[in-house]
Amino acid sequence: MTQENHIEDAEYQAEKALKERPRFSIRSRLLLGFMLFFILSAAAELTAIITLHRLEEKTRFLVIADRYTYEIQQARRFEKNFFLYQTDLQYVFDHVGPAESLMNSNSQELRSVLGDDNYIVLNAHLEKYKELLFQLAAIDTVLPENAETRMSEIENELRQYGSQMITFALQLSERELDTVRSMFRWAKLLPLIFLVFFLILVIYMANFLFRQINRPLSRLMELTERIAEGDLTPITPFRKYRDEFSNVNMALNHMIHELKRRQELMIESHKLRAIGTLTAGIAHELNNPLNNITLTAAVLEEDYENISDEQRLELVRDLVKEAQRSERIVRNLLGFARKSEIETKHLDISDLIAETLKLAQNQVNLKGVKVTTSIPVNLPKIHGDRQQLNQVFLNLILNALDAIDKNGKLNITAETTSMFDFITIKFTDNGSGIPHHILPSIFDPFFTTKPTRRGTGLGLSVSKGIIEEHGGNITVESEVGTGTTFIISLPIARIPAEFK
Amino acid sequence: MSKRFEVLVVDDEPIVGKRLKVALEKTGYDVEVFDSGPAALERIGEKQFDFVVTDVRMDNVDGIDILNKVTETSPRTKVIIITGYATIELAREALVKGAYDFIAKPFQPDDLREVLERAVKARELDSDK
Repeated sequence: MTQENHIEDAEYQAEKALKERPRFSIRSRLLLGFMLFFILSAAAELTAIITLHRLEEKTRFLVIADRYTYEIQQARRFEKNFFLYQTDLQYVFDHVGPAESLMNSNSQELRSVLGDDNYIVLNAHLEKYKELLFQLAAIDTVLPENAETRMSEIENELRQYGSQMITFALQLSERELDTVRSMFRWAKLLPLIFLVFFLILVIYMANFLFRQINRPLSRLMELTERIAEGDLTPITPFRKYRDEFSNVNMALNHMIHELKRRQELMIESHKLRAIGTLTAGIAHELNNPLNNITLTAAVLEEDYENISDEQRLELVRDLVKEAQRSERIVRNLLGFARKSEIETKHLDISDLIAETLKLAQNQVNLKGVKVTTSIPVNLPKIHGDRQQLNQVFLNLILNALDAIDKNGKLNITAETTSMFDFITIKFTDNGSGIPHHILPSIFDPFFTTKPTRRGTGLGLSVSKGIIEEHGGNITVESEVGTGTTFIISLPIARIPAEFK
Repeated sequence: MSKRFEVLVVDDEPIVGKRLKVALEKTGYDVEVFDSGPAALERIGEKQFDFVVTDVRMDNVDGIDILNKVTETSPRTKVIIITGYATIELAREALVKGAYDFIAKPFQPDDLREVLERAVKARELDSDK
């Protein structure tokens, strides 16, 4: 698989992964959170309303129970008076009647509060009491002879039922009063419990907002920094669900794709410019062998008959030699201009520099610049694309030539860093230097100090792109009047070439 | 041709000198050939040539240096500049500074002979004055 396909595949995989996540947008998550809030508050309110309603019911029951107990107690007082002082039995009935009507008119409520069983017992007591009273009244009028014994029997029974009624009613009241008390306690506790729930929910929501919004945002910030530094690998999902941030990530991936495409175009167009510069130089360089061929051929033609075989052979050898020289020059240019498919190999820095210098040789000669190189023999190899790195080096050399006067100096050195992970290559010239205020912008695209038609302003920006794609970086140090040093760091190749 | 004119040819491509020497001597010039600027400069200091044919771009000493030296030591000498592509600017500078003419690489011996013939006439005109 070629590298290009590989990259496209990575982009496709990233897009697919981003899209495949189950959709759970931040909007729906927020909606869910607020729904939960609403349900919890509604539950709190509802519980409060129900509690108040039940309290109201209990209170009404207590009032009824109180009145009932009062009526029964009155009835019993008059019952006692009847037996002690023979007062009218009607007084007792006067109180049993209201007690009974209280029971009947509130039967629904009493049943619901007391339960059916208790209500039936209560009712049965009252019925029995009433019945005994009727029997008592009947004795009074119908059976005068054995009235004494019968009356004492009924009196006992009445006392028994009466006291039972009172006890039972009081017990019920007491029980309900207890319930009311515990309900009040509960009503006081309930808001506190909900408060705790709300607190937990608020903490969860805050945490959720942080996790769902703040974290992706800071990740986006990291990503844009990464992209700005030239890392154009597509973004892959890091969360479980697809949401608004997934869309942002997909948009960023699209941007990365476009950036990469444009960067490639820029590299290509910059290469064309470099070819233009080189062609001018090479045309000049070709002129020399061509001129030698023209002159030699002309002499051969003119004097063919008059010269010795040996002289003729010398002329022909010169022709062949000069033709070969032309071929070499053309091949160098073709090597540089051939289609750029990225092809990474283990490369030797000193070979690379020598190749580039050969390409630039003519410009160097024209300018009369002295170029020195100092590269250790056993320098570790780097891993990269020969052509792209050649382009970067050529660009730096041509820039240096522009910056230095006639008889200036360009020194190229390479060495391993103290960490032994990187190789640094320095291009030091003693040219005009770069003013301090424009130093930060020199790697920006389209920034140029050269006259309008001489530079595209892409050279250094493209070089930076290439070096960063190789995992290295490029920096500059410059002093006006003293000169400029461009420093390239490239990682040392780790995998032995045989295993590649 | 009554007088054999003396020509100095300097080009750092040795073949240029070798071929031009043969070609021009055949036409009747006395030719001295150099393939390095400094040696040519030294010779110009010693002797006044009628014509100096020099490549404009050479290591160490270039055509302009040669021209300057000739105008300084032998104003009557006609200097003919050989240029290549991308050195037109230098050739123009040379003309401004007093070179007689320039001839662009690649050229045939006849091209140079033609320029030299014109230069010979120009010299004759000069001496008639």
